[in-house]
Amino acid sequence: MNKNRHAGVLLGKFRSIQNAIFLVMALLVLSAIGIVTVISLNFTRTSIYENTITYTRQLTGQVNSDIDSYINYMENISSMLAENSDVQKFLFGSGIQAEEAGEQLMSQFATVLNSRSDIYNLGILQANGKALFNKGNSYINSYVDISQLAWYKEAVENKDSICLSSAHVQHVISGERPWVITLSRYIPDQTGKKEGGVLFVDLNYSAIRKLCDDSSVGKKGYIFIIDKEGNIVYHPQQQQLYNELQTENIEEVMNCTSDYLELGKGDSKKLYTVSRSEKTGWTVVSCSYTSELLKRSNQAQELYMLMAVILVAVALIISSIVSKGITRPIHKLQSSMALIQEGDFQAGNVEVDSRNEIGSLTETFNVMTQKIQELMVQIIEEQQAKRKSELKALQSQINPHFLYNTLDSIIWMAEEGKNEEVVVMTASLAKLFRQIISNEEEEISIFQEVEYCRNYLIIQKMRYKDKLEFEIDLDPDIKGEKIIKLVLQPLIENAIYHGLKYKESKGMLILKGYGLEDDIIFEIIDNGVGMDQDTMEHIFERHKVNYRSNGVGVYNVERRIRLSYGQEYGISYKSKLGEGTVATVKIPKERRDVHEKA
Amino acid sequence: MKKHKGWIVLIFMMILALSVVGIYGYRRQIKESKEITLVYIPKIIDETNDFWTTLIAGANTAAEEYGAVLEVKAPESETDYEGQNAYLKEILEREEKPDALLISPVSYTQSTELLKEIKAQGIRLVMIDSNIDENIEDIQVSTDNLEAGKKLGEYAASLLEEGKKVAVVGHVEGSSTAIEREQGFREGLGDKADAFTEVVYCGSQYEKAYELAAELMEKYPDLGVIAGLNEYSARGAARAVRDAGAQDQISMVGIDSSQEEINLMEQGIFKGFVIQKPFKMGYLGVKYTIEMLKGEEVPRQVDAGSELVTPENMYTGENEKLLFPFK
Repeated sequence: MNKNRHAGVLLGKFRSIQNAIFLVMALLVLSAIGIVTVISLNFTRTSIYENTITYTRQLTGQVNSDIDSYINYMENISSMLAENSDVQKFLFGSGIQAEEAGEQLMSQFATVLNSRSDIYNLGILQANGKALFNKGNSYINSYVDISQLAWYKEAVENKDSICLSSAHVQHVISGERPWVITLSRYIPDQTGKKEGGVLFVDLNYSAIRKLCDDSSVGKKGYIFIIDKEGNIVYHPQQQQLYNELQTENIEEVMNCTSDYLELGKGDSKKLYTVSRSEKTGWTVVSCSYTSELLKRSNQAQELYMLMAVILVAVALIISSIVSKGITRPIHKLQSSMALIQEGDFQAGNVEVDSRNEIGSLTETFNVMTQKIQELMVQIIEEQQAKRKSELKALQSQINPHFLYNTLDSIIWMAEEGKNEEVVVMTASLAKLFRQIISNEEEEISIFQEVEYCRNYLIIQKMRYKDKLEFEIDLDPDIKGEKIIKLVLQPLIENAIYHGLKYKESKGMLILKGYGLEDDIIFEIIDNGVGMDQDTMEHIFERHKVNYRSNGVGVYNVERRIRLSYGQEYGISYKSKLGEGTVATVKIPKERRDVHEKA
Repeated sequence: MKKHKGWIVLIFMMILALSVVGIYGYRRQIKESKEITLVYIPKIIDETNDFWTTLIAGANTAAEEYGAVLEVKAPESETDYEGQNAYLKEILEREEKPDALLISPVSYTQSTELLKEIKAQGIRLVMIDSNIDENIEDIQVSTDNLEAGKKLGEYAASLLEEGKKVAVVGHVEGSSTAIEREQGFREGLGDKADAFTEVVYCGSQYEKAYELAAELMEKYPDLGVIAGLNEYSARGAARAVRDAGAQDQISMVGIDSSQEEINLMEQGIFKGFVIQKPFKMGYLGVKYTIEMLKGEEVPRQVDAGSELVTPENMYTGENEKLLFPFK
């Protein structure tokens, strides 16, 4: 409950519900996508990285064991050659026997060399200068002290094992001096008489290079091998390293106790995985660039970001559509309400296109406006009926005094033999009554209304012989225009009874009618006693009904004009005490249907 | 109607996103495919000459490592400046200019005008090993030849017995390296400058050097030291000394080494040589050129360094690495 109220307050802060819904949805979707993206990015990054480390570890281990088995294989070759009896004969024998053994050995060497392209040199030699190399076309470098060569010394010192050198330059054969890895073993004289010799196998890098280079990780990644002392056995950039054009973190690798370490920063951050071999004493090191390892994760990152952007865009569009969908019927309702407020009930029939709360709200609203409309029509009809009956009542309200007095006057005139005047008066009275009684219409022509007044005035003039003179000045252009009944006559009656009747001398009453722009103006001018301010202020009051006239007060006339023509029309008075009064009636030229509009 | 519009917007957004990705990928490809092209004109391509072979190997290694296309063109001999000039003219007429020209000029003076024209075409100019009479290059990578000559001179002086003479077999007269090395050598002799006899030029021909050395030995019976100023001159002269069996009287020294010279050192004919670092020179020349083309800060003058190798230290690990190129 409390929560709902809070939500309501929150939503209420926005100027439109659509914006509120859109914003809330967008925020939710954005944060959801953001969180998911960040989590999956991190997860992918770490998992890819860990996988890569595991993979390079396995790879390094694999290269190490491949190299072990390669060296093992070479050892087997050297053992096979060393155990050959021809070796003994050649090294320790003499004469033809040794020469023959040499021939035999040479052909064996040739067989091995032909089958192994990774063997650079193959040979046996003795410190005393006896030597046999390769296919017999290589000769000992006589300027070199054999016993000082590292691999020879090592083999002599470790008589029982096979020795493996690091990368070094082979000087023993005259001519070319290649960088090789030398496998050497001591061959003792089985008779024990002479000093033993050494068999050596020089390996070129083709096999090791292939093993290392084929297993490197990534485009820039590489594998290198160092020996126990940290000398380079193989490095893809050996030449650059030897020329001090590149550096390698050998010391760090040597000091590293775990099987991997990270060095460097930023883009040049490298991952070293280390695998040490018991057999060779070498350390295989795989180096890969972290930036490369994370390339895949970066690609994934790009993909995630792109997906997130697309998702956010889609979500924004959908939330905009949804929020619009929710608020559209509300907007429709709102605008139709505004129209109804202006009085246009036709706008009240809003199309219902949803079955939800807003749909039923719209339906209720439609029913409500229909009801109001019906009530309005009813009210108008009732008003009209009321006005008609009022008019009828007015028409039937002929002041009995007026009739009595008129008839009395006729009798006097008849007695005096004023036949002609009797005729005029009676005719006028007849016309007056015919007009009152016969005409059912609410509206009559101005001509008719004025004629009515004329008849009335004729009668009154004859009654107040010396007191009343009248003049009617009607613009013939407006004769045909319509006016509601009994507007002018009550005002004339008023002028006579309240203005002229109390005047000492003869009074004058002028009825003027003319058009003014879109309006018609009537002026009833009398030069009677006039009114003071106080009387004039109370003239429109309801109770001021002149009971001596036919009972139609100014209030009544005014009300009817306004009802029929609108608020801007009606009666206005100008008067000066002792000088006279002017009553002005304003009606429109063509009748506007005010009822229909209302 | 409205929902329809929403879908259109959605599809439009998708297409937009895809095209952004597409353009991104395409641009990356273009970026990668724009390669740097370099031309290197050494003094010679000679398989028997370890110096130039190693230098070119260094240049190729760097080109491969830093991702550039390197074209190597060389004249037939180390004296053939006209051959080099012909290549320069050919480059001047090319439609597709290389980004940079690396050159080891044979002549100190004869290629200057052409190199200026090359420079005027917007091709960057890098001098390797040697130089010309005008300072128009963007980068120079070389051995400090004065220094190398001086080391050789000092060593020669230490070998020289009292009263013996010194002769020099130079390579190409008028080349910057010859001029500087000779000057350095004379300086290095120091007190024993009086022992200096003369310089002869072999035009980087083994045979010529051999003949000149033989003549020198005849001319100066009390000759104690012959110095060769490059591989051709030292090697040719050493052969002459070996063939004359004069190694006990005459100490051979030189600049640059080769397989044969190492053998000659083992045989006691060579008493020492100052070795340059050709691999380093070639490698750094190309590396710095590429870095310069990429807009990075590079040194204008690079000294690749030199080392004195004697029979006593020739088998040490450090010297082995320099003497015997790792292949």
